[in-house]
Amino acid sequence: MPTAACRSSRSVIRSMAVAVTGIPLLESKLHAPRRRQGVVARARLAQRLRRDVLPAVVLVSAPAGFGKTTLLTDWLAADAAVTTPTAWVSLDRRDSDPAVFWAYVLAAVRRVAGEVGADALSRLRSAPAALDAVVASLLNDLDALDDDVVLVLDDYHAVESLDVHESMLFLVEHLPGPLHLVVASRADPPWPLAGLRARGELVEIRASDLRFTAQEAQAYLNDAMGLDLAVADIGVLETRTEGWIAALQLAALSLRGRDDPAAFIAGFAGDDRFVVDYLVDEVLDRQADAVRTFLLETSILARLSAPLCAAVTGRGDTRSMLAALERSNLFLVALDDRRQWYRYHHLFAEVLRARLADEGPDRIAGLHRRAGDWFDAEGDRAEAVRHALAAGDFPRAAELVELAIPSLRQTRQEATQRAWLDALPPDVFANRPVLSLALVGARMVTGDTAGVENLLEGIERWTDPDAPAADMVVHDATEFGRLPAQAAMYRAALSLLGGDLAGTVSHAERAAALSAADDHFGRGAAAALIGLAQWADGHLEAAERQYSAAIASFERAGHLPDVLACSLGLADIQFAQGRLGAAKRTLAAGLDLGTANGPLRGTADMRIGLGELHFERNELDVAAEQLRAGVKLGDRLAFRQHASRWRVLDARLRAAGGEHAAALALLSDAERLYDTDYSPKARPVAATTARIRLAGGDVIGAERWAAEAGLTVDDDPSYLREYEQLTFARVLLAGGRPTDASGLLLRIVAGAGAGRREGNAIEALALLALAHDATGDAPQALATLEEALTRASVEGFVRVFVDAGPPMNTLLKAALRRGGRGAEHAAAVLAVGGSRPSGAQPVLVDDLSRRERDVLRLLRTDLSGPEIAAELVVSLNTVRTHTRNVFMKLGVNSRRAAVRRADELGL
Amino acid sequence: MQYEIRLDGHLGTRWAAWLDGLAISCESDGTTVLRGSVVDQAALHGLLQKLRDVGIPLISLTQVPSDQAFEGNRP
Repeated sequence: MPTAACRSSRSVIRSMAVAVTGIPLLESKLHAPRRRQGVVARARLAQRLRRDVLPAVVLVSAPAGFGKTTLLTDWLAADAAVTTPTAWVSLDRRDSDPAVFWAYVLAAVRRVAGEVGADALSRLRSAPAALDAVVASLLNDLDALDDDVVLVLDDYHAVESLDVHESMLFLVEHLPGPLHLVVASRADPPWPLAGLRARGELVEIRASDLRFTAQEAQAYLNDAMGLDLAVADIGVLETRTEGWIAALQLAALSLRGRDDPAAFIAGFAGDDRFVVDYLVDEVLDRQADAVRTFLLETSILARLSAPLCAAVTGRGDTRSMLAALERSNLFLVALDDRRQWYRYHHLFAEVLRARLADEGPDRIAGLHRRAGDWFDAEGDRAEAVRHALAAGDFPRAAELVELAIPSLRQTRQEATQRAWLDALPPDVFANRPVLSLALVGARMVTGDTAGVENLLEGIERWTDPDAPAADMVVHDATEFGRLPAQAAMYRAALSLLGGDLAGTVSHAERAAALSAADDHFGRGAAAALIGLAQWADGHLEAAERQYSAAIASFERAGHLPDVLACSLGLADIQFAQGRLGAAKRTLAAGLDLGTANGPLRGTADMRIGLGELHFERNELDVAAEQLRAGVKLGDRLAFRQHASRWRVLDARLRAAGGEHAAALALLSDAERLYDTDYSPKARPVAATTARIRLAGGDVIGAERWAAEAGLTVDDDPSYLREYEQLTFARVLLAGGRPTDASGLLLRIVAGAGAGRREGNAIEALALLALAHDATGDAPQALATLEEALTRASVEGFVRVFVDAGPPMNTLLKAALRRGGRGAEHAAAVLAVGGSRPSGAQPVLVDDLSRRERDVLRLLRTDLSGPEIAAELVVSLNTVRTHTRNVFMKLGVNSRRAAVRRADELGL
Repeated sequence: MQYEIRLDGHLGTRWAAWLDGLAISCESDGTTVLRGSVVDQAALHGLLQKLRDVGIPLISLTQVPSDQAFEGNRP
């Protein structure tokens, strides 16, 4: 028996699941139902389900009434000597919401292995969409266990969510050694079991296994149920029921107390009716009217308790009624030890419901209504909603849903919210503005904007202070107060979707003005939208301010994923402004935040952004490292831009290493996957492709792109086209048209300068220098280049010069010789210009071990190898090994190069 | 869409209400045929799940062209 301490520690552990996810968890779902009386020992099945040799996965897959749950319950109770901790979850339809499903699974596992899953729980709370991360965390914890753990999922067929199936698939594919998964279901789960079967890791128990043999039927009917049937009669029953346990149970009930069992059996055998139909009728007909009515009326309930049944049926004797039903084995299953909660056997309940639909259809709504009211009074809003919807009592359901929404939002039960809103008929939203807004939100999230405009108009009509509010129905006054600001935000989002930037800004500004001072999330969202619109218009400074404000607001509101989303935008803006240092700080802060809290969605994007910055500074190995890390984090931890963006970075790195074909292949994918979310499409992939083609000598291909892009020499500069125009200028230069290039570039220099888009200005100046050089105006070329270099040196732009090719190299050397402004930067560019990203492990400063650093330090001196060995008190061979590693990590192959590289890296 | 669903065993017409008003016809070969219209795929799968949950074995499912459809309960 569990001690009081054990019980209380279990409740503490379960409380953590509740405390962290905020989702109320039913105790009764977290342990196996009590063992039924009169159960036949099934030795042949017990053989396959031994507890001393547990398979990785056990699947019990059979229709209702085949004894799946009983089999598992018995199996757990047997062999008390073998006590593998077993976590149990009885699933139902509500567990189709991934947030709810995993809350239960984690709570169940933590009851038996308390040291597991704390991290998974917090991930579930903070980033419920990133289910793989939640599952991966749980699996890591389980992997570290010394003892085995069994996880039982009963009624898995009740889960109807693709997200849950996918996350379970992830678990099944990465099953840690200590975990044994047992699943009972009416349908095979959508997992590839063939592999498990092939490896002998799956034990399957199916309907044909579960059917009673004639022997087992005899043991059940005569021994367990106390009947006295002839062998022939048992044979007839077994044939007619095909060993279906539920049918045999019903038959046993029908046979009790009959004078002439043989006659009954003959009648049963000769009837064509569906077995369960026939037998349930028999059972029901033999009940007293009061009992029969009770059974039918309470069949609408998923779970029964005495007070609930009293409320539904109006009877005062429900406690004794339930006890009697359980005693007479009438398909009532106790869900807990204290006999507070029961449920009907699923099959029996289905038939009862069908009977009720036939005999008393007009009673059903009233029954559900009373049940819903009872649950509402008890504070179980979810069940109250279910019953209200089943009663067709939509106004009541709407009220309950409206009141439930803040809590659903808080606990991230998005799937549940969406399901409830979908279940309500459209007309219910017409005069319920708060509910309407929830529907708007649900629609916008899935991108289904049809009808949103109408809903918003309706909401605005209701929130107009001058409008008559006579018919309006509002249950949540607080939410109603937030409606004007919220509606304005959704309008801003709609404007953005429709490409109406001015509209976006004005709606968002209205939303900000209408937001309460402490509504940090609302203010953050408004600022982000305004910033986005301004960014798209090229007003970078204003956009930067808005994004910074949005980040601060979201931080205060604790909405961390939004902080990352805005950090990505802010960094892009700062990058466009040429402020590489600021962009780096923004991304680094985002990376820290994302890593410390999850990792959160967007962490991968931070890495890629950092990679891009390092690339601009020609720190290719670091850029490659960030790329690797970002890709490794995977798509689930990234925003929509990620798939295209990392491929572009990868392509540029490869092109820098001379692998043009690989680069072009990557860019082709990048173009296909291009999705900037809503950010301005300032760097179309096709333009980058054209640049890589130029670098590879394919001028014709690049020219073709320019023609397709509709670029002409007379184009006016504009923020969104600048990157393409600069690319076009490169094409012109490569095609021997420096004068045309000059004209265009001069306009870009002016435009980018005016718009403070420093990065583009520097590139324009560099290209302009080349243009002047090509037209033979050497002094002007140098002067322009010096301007470019000076400005580039501020934030360390290097790549822009390297990518300009060999002609730039010559110019840089000339600038260096002249020793004017920017000569130092020219030297820096020339020094690294020839380097390529090494294919081997790139070095971060931390990658050198302490010993390697010691050796490196001594390599700077003029000590010989043996002298270094003596100094470090190691063998010469050890020094040689360390030296080799240092060279490899620094990407060099001489002592002098190592020293120089170390200087560059600041080691 | 009109569908015809064949089940193994006889299901009485008392099940019609529970089966959303489909016509139930007990055939002489011991099977039952359900006939009627189903709004969409989601409703069809919901119906199949109901049948699954009551344990009656499914034999076949056929879509029926509208002009061959039956309406209402057969005796």
